[in-house]
Amino acid sequence: MADQKEEMRDITFRVLRFNPQVDSKPYYDDYTIPVEKGITVLRALNYIKEHVDPTVSFRAFCQAGICGSCGMRINGISKLACTTQVWDELEKCKTPNVIKVEPLRNMPQIKDLIVDMDPMVDKMKKYSNWIESTMPESKMGEKEFLIAEEEFQEYDKATDCILCASCMSECSILRANKEYVAPAILLKSYRMNADSRDGIHEKRMEALVQDHGVWDCTHCYRCQETCVKNIPIMDAIHGVREEALEMRGAKDTSGARHAEAFMDDIQKKGKLVEATLPVRTNGLGWTLTNLLPMAFKMVLKRRTPPPPPLVKPSKGIKKFREEFQEMSEHVKQDQKDRKH
Amino acid sequence: MSNRTRRIVNTNLGEPGMKRYAYYLSCINEAMTKEVDRSIDLWQKDLDIEFVKMHESVCCGGSNLDYVSPKHFALVNARNIAMAEKLGLDLVTSCNTCLLTIRSAKQKLDASPELRDEVNGILKKEGLEYKGTSEVRHLLWVLVEDVGLDTLRQKVKVPLSNYKIAPFYGCHILRPSTVLGKDNPLEPTTLDLVIDALGGKTIEYEHKNKCCGFHTLLVAEEESLNVAAEALKEAIDRNADFIVTPCPLCHTVLDGYQSKALKQANINKSIPVFHLSEMVGLALGYTPRQLGIKRHIVGGKA
Repeated sequence: MADQKEEMRDITFRVLRFNPQVDSKPYYDDYTIPVEKGITVLRALNYIKEHVDPTVSFRAFCQAGICGSCGMRINGISKLACTTQVWDELEKCKTPNVIKVEPLRNMPQIKDLIVDMDPMVDKMKKYSNWIESTMPESKMGEKEFLIAEEEFQEYDKATDCILCASCMSECSILRANKEYVAPAILLKSYRMNADSRDGIHEKRMEALVQDHGVWDCTHCYRCQETCVKNIPIMDAIHGVREEALEMRGAKDTSGARHAEAFMDDIQKKGKLVEATLPVRTNGLGWTLTNLLPMAFKMVLKRRTPPPPPLVKPSKGIKKFREEFQEMSEHVKQDQKDRKH
Repeated sequence: MSNRTRRIVNTNLGEPGMKRYAYYLSCINEAMTKEVDRSIDLWQKDLDIEFVKMHESVCCGGSNLDYVSPKHFALVNARNIAMAEKLGLDLVTSCNTCLLTIRSAKQKLDASPELRDEVNGILKKEGLEYKGTSEVRHLLWVLVEDVGLDTLRQKVKVPLSNYKIAPFYGCHILRPSTVLGKDNPLEPTTLDLVIDALGGKTIEYEHKNKCCGFHTLLVAEEESLNVAAEALKEAIDRNADFIVTPCPLCHTVLDGYQSKALKQANINKSIPVFHLSEMVGLALGYTPRQLGIKRHIVGGKA
C-alpha cells in the first residue's frame, strides 16, 4: 500500500454561469484544475472558487449529504455535489474529462448554480405539509404522544427526505407545468397523512386531489431513480392515491375515475377497454371537444373500431371472474379485520 | 382461418434450436397498435424464436391496479405468470408498462410467502399455481440477450444504413431500476445496440430516456402533450429520419397524438415513429405494408 501513488488528473468543469442582473442569457465557463482521485464535485467547486474564480456561485453547507443544499445537475443528472465522486463522473462524460455542472431544473435560477427554493416552500404550505395535532392544546405537555413502531415503519423512509429538490428538477410533469404539486411535496404529504398524531388529513387531501395535484403524476419514475436518499417516492405517490380513492368526496375527479376504470374493465372483460376510457374519465363533452378529430383519424386508420366499441372478453373469462370475485371477498374481510 | 393457424402454432413444440417464450397479449396491442404483434408474427421464425400467445391472460392493471387494489393486482399477475410457468416458458411482453407492472407483481409475490399462498389458494381452482419459476422479460431484452446482436447482424437483409434513427426507450423498461435492472436507467444502451446491429445510425439526444406522457393523457392532457412535444422536437431538431420505441404506449402518444402535441408547441413539422418490432421487420426484408406501418397516424418514408 505504501508505494501506491495518489492518482491525479487535469479535469475540466464546464459550469453554467448566469447572473440575471448582468447577463442576457446563460453561458458556460470551463475551469480545468488538477484533481486527485477521491475528491467530490463539491470540493472541486470549492477549489475553483478559492483558486481560480471567486465569482462562481453555489450553495453548500454541511458537505456531508445531510443538509441537501448542494443539489445541482452533474453531467445532466440532478444530485448532491458533496456525495458525488469526480472519478465516478468521468465514466459519464460526453466529452472525455469534461464534467458538466448546471443548476437544478424547474426552479427559477438566481445566479449560476443557485436556484430559488421558494416555490417548493410555497407548495409545502399550499398542501399543509405539517402536523396539526389531534391533541387539544390544553392537554399538551401533560403526556407523551407515543407512536407505535409499526406505524413509524410506514413512513420511516419518507422521513429521510432532505428537501434537496433533485426530484423536482427531474420531474417530467413539473417541467411541463410549474403549477404541478411535485414529487417532494407528495412524499411529504404521504408522510404527514400516515402519522396518527395528525389532525388535518382531510384538509391536505382536499388540496391534493385538485388540478395539478396527485393525479397528474405520469409514473416516469425519474424522481425515484434520482433520489439522493433512495426513497421510493412513487410508492408514496401511490399511497396518497390509495387514500384519495378511499376518501369519500375525493373520488369524483378524472384521476380517480381513470384509475378505477382499470379495475372495472379487468373484472368484466379481463382487458382494458381503451376506446371508452376517455368518456369514462372525463365525460362525453370533454371527449367530443378534445378527441373527436383524433378519434376520426384513428378510426380511419383502423387503430380503434367505430362506435360502439365492442371488446371481446379474454378467453376463460368466466373462471377468472370467479377468482376475481373471491379476491374481493378477501379484501372485504381484510377491511373488517382492520376495523376491529 | 387465421385463428386456426394460430392455434396450430400454439401447440407446436417447436423445432430444435428454436427458443420459445410465453407471449403476453397487451391490451393496447390487441386494440390500437395491432401492427406490433403482426410484425412479430412475420419475423419470429427468421430469428429462430417462437412466441406462444397466452390467449387466457388478462390485463396486468397498467400501472394503476397496484394502488387501486394491491391484492387483485397480485392475483391477476400471479395468474398471468402462472400460465407461462405451466408452459415452462419465460413470459415476454412487448409493452413497457406491462413489463414493469408484471415484474413488480412478481417481486411482491416472491418476497411474500403469505401473499403467494393466498393467491395460489384461489388459482388452484383453475389448476394454476404461481411458483416463481418464469422470468418476466421484454421483447427488446430477448433480442439483445437471447437472439444476440451478432445473429441480428447476420440476419439483416435490408440494412437500415440510410437512416438516422432516434431511439426512444420509454420509462417502464428502465425505471425503477430496483424492479427492472437490465439497462442503465438514466443512460440506456440496449435499443441503441439493436439499431446499430440492424445497420442504422443512432441519434444521440437528451430525451431518449425521458417520458412520453402517456399515463396522464386523459388526466392532464396539456402537460402530457408538452412532455411528448419536447421529445419529438429534439428528435426533429437532430434531423432524425424516424423515432423507434419498444413501447406501444409511447408509440400511441408520439404517433397518434403527435400532430396535437406539436401544434400545441407551435412546431410545423412531423416525424414518423416506428415500433421496435417494425424496425426489426424492415431490416429483415419485410415491406411496410406487410408490417402494418400504413396504420400509423403520421405517414412518412420507409
